[in-house]
Amino acid sequence: MDQIIFLVSEGFKNVWRHKATSLTAIFTLYVTLIIVGLFMVGGENIHKTIQYVRSKYKVEVFYEQDVSDFQAKAIAEKIKKIRGVRSATVIGKQDAVNIFQDQFGEDIFSVLGYNPLPASTVVNFDRNSPKRLKFNAIIQEIESMDGVDVVRHQGILVNKLERYYQKVLKNFPLVSGLIVLITVLVIYNTVKLSVYSRKSLIYSMQLIGATKSFIKMPFVFEGLLMGTISTLLVYPSMLGFIKAGNFIIKSIAHLNMSLSVDPFIWLWLAGLAGIISVLGSYRAISSILK
Amino acid sequence: MIEFQNVTYNHQKDVGVNNLSFTIPENDFAFLIGPTGSGKTTLMRLIYFDLLPQSGFVKTGNFSSHKLKKRKIPFARREIGMVFQNYQLLEDRNVYNNIALPLHVLGYPTKEITERVEECIDLVKLEGKEKLKPSQLSGGEQQRASLARAIVKDPSVLLADEPTGNLDPVSAFELVKLLQEIHETGTTILMASHNYSLIKGRGYRILELQNGHLRGNG
Repeated sequence: MDQIIFLVSEGFKNVWRHKATSLTAIFTLYVTLIIVGLFMVGGENIHKTIQYVRSKYKVEVFYEQDVSDFQAKAIAEKIKKIRGVRSATVIGKQDAVNIFQDQFGEDIFSVLGYNPLPASTVVNFDRNSPKRLKFNAIIQEIESMDGVDVVRHQGILVNKLERYYQKVLKNFPLVSGLIVLITVLVIYNTVKLSVYSRKSLIYSMQLIGATKSFIKMPFVFEGLLMGTISTLLVYPSMLGFIKAGNFIIKSIAHLNMSLSVDPFIWLWLAGLAGIISVLGSYRAISSILK
Repeated sequence: MIEFQNVTYNHQKDVGVNNLSFTIPENDFAFLIGPTGSGKTTLMRLIYFDLLPQSGFVKTGNFSSHKLKKRKIPFARREIGMVFQNYQLLEDRNVYNNIALPLHVLGYPTKEITERVEECIDLVKLEGKEKLKPSQLSGGEQQRASLARAIVKDPSVLLADEPTGNLDPVSAFELVKLLQEIHETGTTILMASHNYSLIKGRGYRILELQNGHLRGNG
């Protein structure tokens, strides 16, 4: 028992004894974890952004003059069945007159003696669709329907956003894999350097009869402590970044959305830091003890 | 006991030792002399199994090189205390913790560690210096701390490889005197040195190495 206490305390004391190398290792861990963490938060929130854009995007379908409200409802039912369409709300001829009066203060029927406004439909899109919504194709399909006169939309920007979103979705696993790989290599090499700087200490330990496991254990505990410290520093920093991001979104971009963090990300970061620093220490010390 | 039987070890670019055979019985005190590069350090490294012979075998205490598995080497070293010219103290911890380290390796309980370390500190006359780092000590004090670390686990064999090499004559003389005191408690000691004047006339056996060959043994 005394020996276990000694090994654990040695690991913790080593962080203090070798402040410069420990600080370098902790800082490197911290920076790489921040990059991974922000990338994960970005990945989580990019879908939210496209959802927000989709929820704000609507298309107005104006029917020909001779299309009655009843026929407009039938066409709207057809529009609803198109993949990616969430709702199609019909605005009847009389509703159009009311809207006109609300907006311009004039009763168009009494001015002209007849109602020139056509029935129309406001189309909203499925914000939760995991796939790219091809707005151009949807609009073309609506335009080709009998009775449809004009389809008004601002599809260029939304189409661009959808295209970028799709590219991000496609490359996300590869990019995140690369980032994690780089993180693993950076952390592993930092820990390895910190272990290598104490090669003579390891040799002295061998000379007094310390077994390999006795020599390894303090380094492993040291790695674990450095991983824990880095993770504890990463959490408040990440929260700060997210807060700043939300401030920019709300106050500068005036968007009604906010960034969120899945609690799983905290666990994932802690696990990543712990596993890599412990395995890094273990492998580095093992390569010296060969 | 230390036993060499037809031991040869050659370094790639340097002289090692050639066909050495000798025995240092239990409780003996022997000096190993020879000029720089004569093979003294190689011989010492063979004794604590830092090198394994290319032919023949080395026996130290209960461990023999021809039967020794790599993972058993730390256990063999636990029977050996070692003192080096450059002290090999751990610079990142104080004198007390340096001396206590072999006992932690052996799994001694904390209370016994304290008692043994204090005894050794008294023996090597380092009272009051326990909390100092090696770099805060003189060369003689560092070597005495190194000696305390070597004897704290009560080894059956004590190896001293040029322990006086970096010391002034007075400190060197005091260190040899300390080694003699330790020998009187029943420890087998082999001390390598090229300072003949320091060891002559003490009545102990002298092994003389030249170019890896044993020239004198008596």
